[in-house]
This record gives sequence, structure tokens and C-alpha cells, in this order.
Amino acid sequence: DEIGLIPCPEARYNRSPIVLVENKLGVESWCVKFLLPYVHNKLLLFRQRKQWLNKDELIDITCTLLLLNPDFTTAWNVRKELILSGTLNPLKDLHLGKLALTKFPKSPETWIHRRWVLQQLIQENSLPNLATKGNLGAAPVERIHRLVQEEMKVCSEAAGRYPSNYNAWSHRIWVLQHLAKLTVKILLDELSSTKYWVSMHVSDHSGFHYRQFLLNSLIRRTVTDNNIVVQNQMVNEQNPSLQKEEESAGTEAACAEEQNVDLPRCLDEEMELCSELIDNYPGHETLWCHSDENLSNSHHSPAASHMAQAMDVDGLNESSSKQGYTQETKRLKRAPVQDSLGPEMEYQFVDKVLSTCRDVDQARFATAYRKWLVTFLGQ
Amino acid sequence: MHVGGEVDVRSAYCAASVASLTNILTPSLFAGTAEWIARCQNWEGGIGGVPGMEAHGGYTFCGVAALVILKQEHLLNLRSLLHWVTGRQMRFEGGFQGRCNKLVDGCYSFWQAGLLPLLHRALHARGDPALSMAHWMFDQLALQEYILLCCQCPAGGLLDKPGKSRDFYHTCYCLSGLAIAQHFGSGDLHNEVVLGIPENCLQATHPVYNIAPEKVARAVMHFLQYPVPSLEPA
Repeated sequence: DEIGLIPCPEARYNRSPIVLVENKLGVESWCVKFLLPYVHNKLLLFRQRKQWLNKDELIDITCTLLLLNPDFTTAWNVRKELILSGTLNPLKDLHLGKLALTKFPKSPETWIHRRWVLQQLIQENSLPNLATKGNLGAAPVERIHRLVQEEMKVCSEAAGRYPSNYNAWSHRIWVLQHLAKLTVKILLDELSSTKYWVSMHVSDHSGFHYRQFLLNSLIRRTVTDNNIVVQNQMVNEQNPSLQKEEESAGTEAACAEEQNVDLPRCLDEEMELCSELIDNYPGHETLWCHSDENLSNSHHSPAASHMAQAMDVDGLNESSSKQGYTQETKRLKRAPVQDSLGPEMEYQFVDKVLSTCRDVDQARFATAYRKWLVTFLGQ
Repeated sequence: MHVGGEVDVRSAYCAASVASLTNILTPSLFAGTAEWIARCQNWEGGIGGVPGMEAHGGYTFCGVAALVILKQEHLLNLRSLLHWVTGRQMRFEGGFQGRCNKLVDGCYSFWQAGLLPLLHRALHARGDPALSMAHWMFDQLALQEYILLCCQCPAGGLLDKPGKSRDFYHTCYCLSGLAIAQHFGSGDLHNEVVLGIPENCLQATHPVYNIAPEKVARAVMHFLQYPVPSLEPA
């Protein structure tokens, strides 16, 4: 489950340089300068059609190469060909990639190849009559869910191995967008599961950016879902015969409603988290940036959903609109209160930090934040 | 970036760069590209690799330069971009960081500082009266100090930061950044700001293509002689 290089400049004993302890693979460093050129050369000769390699040899050689240097695009591409021809199980590449990332957590080519493999797997999913190799034997939805969870885990580990790991976090976002389809459930799950991680990595700008992405997606999702519910109700009123078709879309949106996305509370909690971390860990620019953006979101989003709702509520039949409308009015009733409390609390918070902090950077960030509050809120 | 490869802002820049220099830039080739790049700008003000991603110096340069080539810089929020990039110059080191809360790196001397000439031009086109006629909107001397004092390898070549080893990539972009920091404007409005002895002065580099401005002119002139190829097979 992990690979590594063992610093060992000379072959001391007459034995294999491969060391396997508790499921972790080590390679003594002296052998790399012999091994890497050897396998590299073999693959190049194959590519130049000067020397033939059968499928098993190709799989072994590329595997060795990639564990030594995962940014070797050609080796990943050979494996792409093997996958497309049906000789290689794509899940093997997910495992190989995961191993490579334990030593090379940033490796761009590994992440890129991983996305290609996942795309192959989703396509396979939508054509259930085709390939069954590597099928986990579960229903497609379940299968995708497991893939997503595994990817979240791989990303999290890689992010822990290298600070502000841009590639790991971009991959995580990509998986949510393309595999998990940004459902409310996954967004909320991810918010709660990354909360502890970011608290342990307060300078990790990428980690906090991820939370911004989750919150922004939730905001967009809530507005869209409310529009869907309202539109469905309108359509059902006008065309009772269409009701069955609309039902599935309506059910999905209704489920989202049942989730009861308490957006103001999510944003509130985020502000609380930020303030707490700023207090405990003075002088981290990332936390202040995150605060800026959160306040901006709290300020804007209830207004945004209010506007969307206002346009759709007009012209609706009273009985059908009641459900959707009541939900919104509850939120709207909270919103004005939200607006007046939020900024005041922020001023209090900043002034408190300024009067009690001893860290030079913290003071600088707090002063800048206060100036920003004044400009942004115009108070 | 290549067939079956990853998609991100860099490829838009590579394509726009090549197409404009070789006179094969047609509207259909880049239909929708400018709008896609604009979607890569995020709440921080900088640009990420793909829409939704964290703002990053390298991708930001590629995005902005591509938009300059496509003459669509106005699609961006230039003010928040300016705010973001100027915040990336490190107050202690003088060099630039690639993203918020990260360490300084010599190569961002070009990716980040190189944005300021582009922004200057875009804001000038809007008739912004506050623009300087002598300096870019970053501390040119501080950047030169960082590059000359911290990024040189005694055996030759340049690097990321002290303690790192030299490589061609860092040598290229440290030098490019140095050139940007030393030269403001061009022609009548050219202003040189050179730290240290006059011999430190490098030739100016073109802020969009990062090759000598004369080379850009020659390439464009050469390819203008040829007609723009059509997409129909011959």
C-alpha cells in the first residue's frame, strides 16, 4: 500500500534490492541507476518497433517504470492502449496510480491518467451489456459511489503528503463534478469530512479553496433546485398528462428539499470555523482570505435565492405554491436578521483580534480585513 | 495539451500563441475559447487551470496572455485580477509566490510579474488616468534583488530559491522575469530600471510571447505573406 526509496548507495549484500515489509515496498537506491535506464530503454525500443514485447511484459515494464518515475507519459499511454484493447483491467491502473502517489503525491501525469481511467469506467457503466471484467458486482450507482469514496481518500492522502497540493485538490473537484454530479448530499458530506482536515492544515490554501468550491456549488444547487421544484409545479398544473414524466425530476428536487439545505447555517458554521482557527493560529493569510469570501457569500446568497424565487412565485396557483413558498419565506425571514447580525459580529471579531494579537502578520491581516469590511459593507 | 491528454488553460495559450504568430488565427478556431478562459477566473481574482480551480500564477499568465492575443481581456474582472497578482509579491523576499500562502519561487518572477505589463496595456486601452508612464504596478527593484541575490547558482544558471538546484526551466523564467522588471514600456515610452551595474541589463522580452520583440515582429511579417489556410481539405 506504499512505495519508497531506501537510501543505500552501495550494494552491501549479495541479495535483491527489493524489500517488502508489512505491505510496503522499498527499493534500495543503488539499483535505480541500473534498473531505470534498462526498463526505459526496453520500452523505447518497443515503441520504435525495434523490439517486440508481449502484453505481460509490457504490463510489467510499464509498472516498474511508473513506480520509479510516474511522470513518464509514454508508459501511461502504453497502458491506455492495453486497457482499450481489453488486455488490462482499468482498476489495476487506479491501484498503480495510488501506489505511485504515495511517493510522488503531485505527479501530474498520474492524476491525468487517473481521470482518463475513471472516464473509461463511467462509460463502461452506462453500457451495462458490455465489459464485466473488474465489475465490483454491484449496481452502477453503488459502484460509482464506491469509486467516488475511494477517490476522496486518495486525494486526501496525497494532500497530506504535500502542502497545498494543487493537483490532488483539482482532481478531487473534478471527481465531484464528473462522477458525483455535485449532488447536495455529496457536497454536505464533503464539507463535514474535510472540516477536521483543514483545521489541521491551516495554511493549506488549496484545502480552504475546496471548501469555497463546495459552498459555492451548494449555493448554485439550492437556487437551481428551488427553480426546478417551482417550475415542476407550474408544469403539473398546466399539463396533468405530463405529470408522470416530470415526477422523476420532481422527486430528485424534492429529495434535495427534504435534505433541507440550511444554507445560511452552513455559511454561519464556516464563519465560526474560520474565526476559531484565526484565533487559535495567528498569522495565516489563507484563513483571512477564506473569511473574506465567506462573508461575501453570506451577504449575497439569501438575496440571490430571494430574487430567483420572487420571479417564479408570481403567477402561481396558491395551493401548489404553498410548499415551495413556505420554505423560502422561512429562509427569507431569517435573511434580514442574518444581514444585520453578520457584519456587526465581524467588526467585533476583527477589533478583538486587533486589540489582543501579538503576531505582526496577524495584525496586518486583521487591519486589511477591517478596511475591506468597510469598503464592502459600506458601513 | 495533446491528443487524449489533459485540458487546461495552458493549451489555450499555446494554441493562441502559435496561431497568432503563424497567421492561422481564425474566429472558428477559437470559438468559445475566450469565454471558457474567463470562467477560469475565480473569486480570488486569479485564474485556475480549469473553471472551479484555485487561482495559480502559471495558469493566470496563460489565461491572460491568451485573452490578450484574442483581444478579449475585457471579459475578465481586471480589478480583482490586479488585486490578486499584486498581493503575490512577497514583502520580505521581493520575489513572487504562485498562490496565496505559499513560498516564493524564482519562476513566478515571470508568470506573476509578467501579468503587470499585460494589465497595464489592458487598463491603458480603457483610458485609465491613474496609470503610471514609467513603472509597472509592482516593485521592480525588489524583484531584481531577489533574482540576482537569491536565485543565482554559483556554477551558472538560475533556480527557484536558495537551496534548490538549477534547471533550464528556472533559468529561463528567472531571466524572463528579470527582463520584465528592468524594462517598462517600449519605443518612446521606454524606461529602464536596472539594479546594480549597467551590465546587469538584459534585452527586453515581449510580455505576451516571452521572446524578443523583434522576433515577434519578424515572425508575424513572415507568415503574413502566406494566406490563412482554410479548413477545407485541399
